[in-house]
Formats: sequence, C-alpha cells, structure tokens
Amino acid sequence: MMEKVISGNDAVALAVKLSRVKVTGIYPITPQTYIIESLSEMKDRGELETEIIRVESEHSAMAATFGAAAAGVRAYTATASQGLLYMHEMVWWVAGSRIPVVMTVGTRAVGPPWNIWNEHTDFMSERDSGWIMAFASTPQEAMDLSIMAFRITEDERVFLPMMVGMDGFILSHTKTRVYVPSQEEVDSYLPPRRQPYVLDPEDPIAMGNMFSPEDYMKLRESIHRAQIASKEVIVEAGKEYMKRVVPIGSYSTLNESYKLEDADYAVVVMGAWSLDAMQAVDELRKEWLKVGVYRIRFVRPWAEEEVVKALKDKSVLVLDRSVSFGRGGQLYTEVKASLPDADIKGVITGLGGVSIGKNEMKAIIRKFVERPQGIEWFYPKEVGKIELRSPRYIK
Amino acid sequence: MSLNYQLFPISKPAKGAGGKTGNWRIVRPLVHEDKCVGCKACYIWCPEGTIIIKDGKVAVDYEYCKGCGVCSNVCPAKAIEMVSES
Ligand code: SF4
Ligand code: SF4
Repeated sequence: MMEKVISGNDAVALAVKLSRVKVTGIYPITPQTYIIESLSEMKDRGELETEIIRVESEHSAMAATFGAAAAGVRAYTATASQGLLYMHEMVWWVAGSRIPVVMTVGTRAVGPPWNIWNEHTDFMSERDSGWIMAFASTPQEAMDLSIMAFRITEDERVFLPMMVGMDGFILSHTKTRVYVPSQEEVDSYLPPRRQPYVLDPEDPIAMGNMFSPEDYMKLRESIHRAQIASKEVIVEAGKEYMKRVVPIGSYSTLNESYKLEDADYAVVVMGAWSLDAMQAVDELRKEWLKVGVYRIRFVRPWAEEEVVKALKDKSVLVLDRSVSFGRGGQLYTEVKASLPDADIKGVITGLGGVSIGKNEMKAIIRKFVERPQGIEWFYPKEVGKIELRSPRYIK
Repeated sequence: MSLNYQLFPISKPAKGAGGKTGNWRIVRPLVHEDKCVGCKACYIWCPEGTIIIKDGKVAVDYEYCKGCGVCSNVCPAKAIEMVSES
C-alpha cells in the first residue's frame, strides 16, 4: 500500500488495473472520459493486460463488456449522464442475464438543457434495473468500492452486476490523498473469476431466449432475492477488504452513521456532499444543536434494517441531488418507505452543479430545525430573473 | 445458506417438436459419398444444423431438414444433389 495524490478517475482506473480486468468496453463521455484514457495509456505503457474495445456508443460499450463477461473474464466499463441513459437497455440486459460486470458512473446532470455538471439523476434512474448500486463519497472510496465490486458481483449468492457512482468533477477530477494497495494485496483479496454460466463451444447453451410467463416471473424473483442476499456478501467483502487491502475504511456496514448516537436530528445524504454535511454538523454541534449525518452508500440493495436502526426516533431530513418528477427526491421516498411513521422531511438541491458546501448545508439544517416545512427546493443564492421563453400558441 | 433461489435465464439447445419437417418438404438433399471431400462447408452453412458429420462422412437428419438446398449450393464438390420427395 502506498499514498498517492490522485483524482477519483485515476483511483478508479487503478482499481480496474489492480483487479486484473481482462476486457474494457470504452466510449468517452464527460466526466468519466479520463478513466478510459488513463486505462488506454496504461495499456500503451505495457502496464495493463486488458483488451480495450473501442465502440461507437455507450449501448455498444455495455454490450461488448457484457459479451466479454459472458465469455468468462472480468469486464468493466464507465459512463455518465446521457451515456448511461443510452445504455439503459443493455444495463437491464446484463442484470437479467445475471452476469457479473462492474461499471463506474461519473454522475452528471441529464439534458436538455445541456449541462455537464454534477447531480445524481442519471445514477438514480437505474434503481430498478437489478444492479447493485454503491455510491462513493471520496476518491478513496471510489477505488475501494470498485475493487470490492468484483468480489461482491462474483459471489455465488449474488451473481449480479454492480455500478459505483462517483460525483462528476467533485470526485472525478479533484485530486486528493488516496491509499493505493499493492497488486499482491488485491490478488490476495480477489478470488479467481466466478460466474453462473459461460460461453463454451464444447458445452453450448442458449442465452437471451423467450421464457414463458411463470418462468420469467421466477427469474424476476431470483434477482430480487439475490439483491437481498447481497447485503451479507457486501458486509463480508467490506470487512475482508479492511483486513487484507486498505485498513482505513469503514466497510463493516452498508451505510455509515456520523454522530447519530445522541442526535435528535439526522441528515440523510449520499455522495461527496456527505463530507460537507459532516463538517456542517461539527460546527452546529458547537452551537449545541444535536444533529448527525446518515450517509447512504448502497442504494441497492437497500439497507432496510440499518436505516431503521439508525433513524428511528429522530427527526429526519433527506437531501436529494436528483428528482423523480411529480414525486420528489428518490432517497426521500426510500427512507420514508423504511420509516412510514417517522417525522421525515425532504429537500431537493444541488441539481445541475448548483454548489452546496458546508455553509449551505448549515443553512439547510438550520431551516429544517427551526421551520421544518417549505424548503423542498433549496437554492443557495437569490435566483435572478430567468428569461426563458413563454408558451407560444400556433394559430 | 441455500442457493436454491438462484435461477439463470439460459437453456440447453435441444431438438424439439417445433422444428420437425413434417410432410411439407418437397426436395431433400442426397449426399453422394463418393464425391464428398469432407470440407464441412455444408455442416457450417446448413441453417438448421441438420448436417451430421461423423468420421468424415456426411449424413442429413431428415426429421429436421427443411430442404432449402443451401448445403447443395455451397458444396464445392457438387456432392449434394436435391432430389424430389415424391
Ligand atoms: S437442405 Fe437445407 S436444411 Fe436440409 S441439410 Fe441442406 S442446408 Fe440443411
Ligand atoms: S460441402 Fe460437400 S464436400 Fe464438403 S463436406 Fe459437405 S458434402 Fe462433403
């Protein structure tokens, strides 16, 4: 293990290398482009034994990655925003096929209007696809979760693909201190590739067939049960990771609590701004406000028991960096479903790169404590008059 | 922990009633073994997978052969003749 000052994209590229990924389907899209550029450079320098397949779209990137994984090797790809949406069909196809694949999503707003800044809408739109979905809060965690992902997805109790979300630019492009494990440490952690079935001319199978209604429904139930079973696998993989690979993490639970034990108020967040929330909480605690942070690390599987245990008997504020139009924040809906009788409020903010730091977090939390309604959409600054076109009627 | 919840969407290819030819085929491929050079072109191109090659010899599974004539067309040695079923 050694320390390096690198970006989230660098950290993920190193994770891919250390996990001995054999095939990478690549297509560039901001803000993940640097990951695949970095992998290509490593390959050019002879440091990486990965077959890199350049394709013409994200749909094909996932298709190529899926094909390679079905043929029996570790396969990886990365995407963001419109790219993930374009890939959507294949995302479902991979999970439905139960083939382990790992993907990074450098999260970014979805157009129109065109916007390359960060939010979580792209990532959250895949919640129902059957993938295991983790979200990092630091470049370190992006790397750790990406390595763990191979172990989790290839466990016989799981056999589902996994995506790791990472805030675009905020994590993907910001350099910070990261502990990078050695090849030997990762080798001792990741077992040889395992998967439920493999393309083999000597033992032919048919994939992608038509299934009768009852068989189809049974397969759906199987994905659901594998998701539930993965909770135990994730905890095992996390503990083992801390033992063998990077000892500084906090992976013995799916999600993470910060100063929640004695708190009256809990702020639920996911991703890079969790750290801003923790700083805000530190300062608010000096003003004797008993508030803590609950950080969602896994959206799927949903850590029902952990969430209930951490948040029951508290006033809860859920911050969403994405929106389900006509419904509200997705995290809000998830938390509310776990604690139907609790006092839970939700705020949507930080969309399309609207900057939310420690001071904005403090303002949001203060407002929540003093006046727990009417802040569903939070704008940190005065919003100027926006000149957008009004409706035009065609005669 | 029991893994009996784990199901995977694959199947083993097998012969089924669905692909059987019945009595609607009007021509069938007849292999002239003396002309066959064993190149396996017919085996590769048959769209139904009904050419069987065993010990270099070519046979046709007439239960499933649809009589399309692809094998006859691709045979470089003109070893497969399409003959009338009647
Ligand atoms: S006639 Fe058509 S179906 Fe029959 S063996 Fe030849 S190629 Fe196959
Ligand atoms: S294509 Fe003709 S020569 Fe070649 S194996 Fe078939 S029957 Fe024989």
